[in-house]
Amino acid sequence: MSEVLQSLFVLGSSHHQAPLEVRERFSLTAEQTQSLQKKIYADEDIRECLVVNTCNRLEIYGLATTPDIEPRIRDLLCQEHGLSRELFDAHSFWHTNLEALQHALEVCTGLDSQMVGETDILGQMKGAYASARDAGCTSTVLNRLFEKSFQAAKSARSQTAITRGQISIGNVAVDLASRIFGKLNSSRVLLLGSGDVSEKTAQALKSRGVADITVSSRTFENAHKLAHQLGGAAIEFSDFEAQLEHFDIIICSTAAPTTILSQGNLTPALKQRPERPCFLIDLAMPRDIAPDVEKLENVYLYNLDDLSAIANENLEQRRAEIDHAREILKRHAWTLWLQLRRRELMSRS
Amino acid sequence: MLQDIAMTDRTAFAIGATIYLAAFLFGCIALLLKKPYPRAAMFALLSGGFLIQTLGLNLRGAAIKACPLGNTFEIAQFIAWSLVLLYFIVGPVFRLRLLGFFVAGLTALLSGGSLLLPAWDQPYPAGIFGGNPWIELHAALAIFSYGVFAIVALVSVMFLIQQHGLKKKQFKGLYQYLPSVQQLDLMAKRLMITGVIFLTAALLFGAVFWINNPHLVPMFKLGVTCFIWAGYIVVVILRLQKKLVTRRHAIAAIILFLLAMASLWPVQSARHTESIPSSSATTDAK
Repeated sequence: MSEVLQSLFVLGSSHHQAPLEVRERFSLTAEQTQSLQKKIYADEDIRECLVVNTCNRLEIYGLATTPDIEPRIRDLLCQEHGLSRELFDAHSFWHTNLEALQHALEVCTGLDSQMVGETDILGQMKGAYASARDAGCTSTVLNRLFEKSFQAAKSARSQTAITRGQISIGNVAVDLASRIFGKLNSSRVLLLGSGDVSEKTAQALKSRGVADITVSSRTFENAHKLAHQLGGAAIEFSDFEAQLEHFDIIICSTAAPTTILSQGNLTPALKQRPERPCFLIDLAMPRDIAPDVEKLENVYLYNLDDLSAIANENLEQRRAEIDHAREILKRHAWTLWLQLRRRELMSRS
Repeated sequence: MLQDIAMTDRTAFAIGATIYLAAFLFGCIALLLKKPYPRAAMFALLSGGFLIQTLGLNLRGAAIKACPLGNTFEIAQFIAWSLVLLYFIVGPVFRLRLLGFFVAGLTALLSGGSLLLPAWDQPYPAGIFGGNPWIELHAALAIFSYGVFAIVALVSVMFLIQQHGLKKKQFKGLYQYLPSVQQLDLMAKRLMITGVIFLTAALLFGAVFWINNPHLVPMFKLGVTCFIWAGYIVVVILRLQKKLVTRRHAIAAIILFLLAMASLWPVQSARHTESIPSSSATTDAK
């Protein structure tokens, strides 16, 4: 190896490379993520690895003993999850060394997020790191990389105003609901699934005085717990279809592998309430609501991409702050890169 | 007192139309600057236009010694006036954003457009209503109902714009200032019912006159009026049965209003050609 750390890499696909319909094909469950991480780590040329899987990105960070690892990692991922290699290659990126470092820092800071400046990604990165570290898949290099990335993210946020004026998914949903229903005090909300973003969205709607919130999840205990937090009621997942007609706003965030709402089960419900519009928010990955539902009269369907695009409409006003944050992260990345190289050289000598 | 005012009725109508146009342009500029216009300013401008237009109608009424509804020009002016009057009534109740802007646009078009078409302001014999107050009430109610249908059409246009924005995921510009689709739909439904009640009442008063004087009511006018009324009745019934709702209801309201407007000119022409009454004869208003 002529250059230390020349095989630090990140292979991934995010909203920058892949549209929603492609991203949902790359999406993994928590179990699949763990399994993939173990299989990559089992490769004899991989020294460390970490897999991040969120609704908008699938990324594999790793340190290899050879610079020629890229095709093997791509093959492994595609074979493991039955993905088309051509499709994945067309919608993915590969960064190495300093670029990989800079990328990790920008992801942790929220600069690479679909809603630039959002803070949820830091928690998701911390979760992925904790999981990989507990599984013994990370060691000195990735441990230092991620711990320093978390510090750099906080530093960039505190020194810039990238989060100022940032609009959350919940706020966008509330604004859209107001454009559909006006006052929300007679609107009834159904939460399908108990994801973090959907919970925040429901809370934003609750703060605007929606009539009531009902939660339904495959695990009734989870639904009951969330319903209790939101001051609402829980219903069995098997019952939600029969009760669709009673709800004005339906927020979906289940981990179902296929859609749970389609024209087939929505049309009878809409016939029971022809004068009242229906606002559907699909926060799931893969999507919970069939896209052709949008064609139904009186139905307004918004998915993650739609909500993020609206939330980013004030992005230009924050452009200067985003550039400033990127410059700060570049300095952090360069310092970290030098530290990692020095450590690697010292450990070799 | 009206004789002391040194202004012709057409001058008053022209000033009124100019103020309505100014109100509309004021709204346009505010929207282009991506700012909601101050409601008080829009209200003040529309009030100014309304007062001057009221003066114009009074001057015209004093000149013909009857309710000024004898030709297409006067009817267009009366509909525009009714539209603004309705805005003053329903605006504060429903507090619909941008309604004033749309009302200003349509009144400027109706009021200003009718001024630009001299053929619409044909002279007609004095005492066209023959001093029959019931037939004047019939005419006034019928034209007022057209004002209601005008505001229904405007609300329906606003509904379609907002719905288009929501379906196409548009968030900026005009869309963010429009009221919600549900509010607009509900308002269109209520106003449509109100308009049909006024038009039905107008037709009932007219029917009593027609039964007593069938030779004085042109059949073409009667047929077209009944056709418009039947159209609105069908839409209201289908709406109450929840068979014609939201988007299709909005489209129906706009088409019916355009048909009603399009019928004014031939109806008026038919009246002048088919039945020119003597100065003592009574005739229908519309």
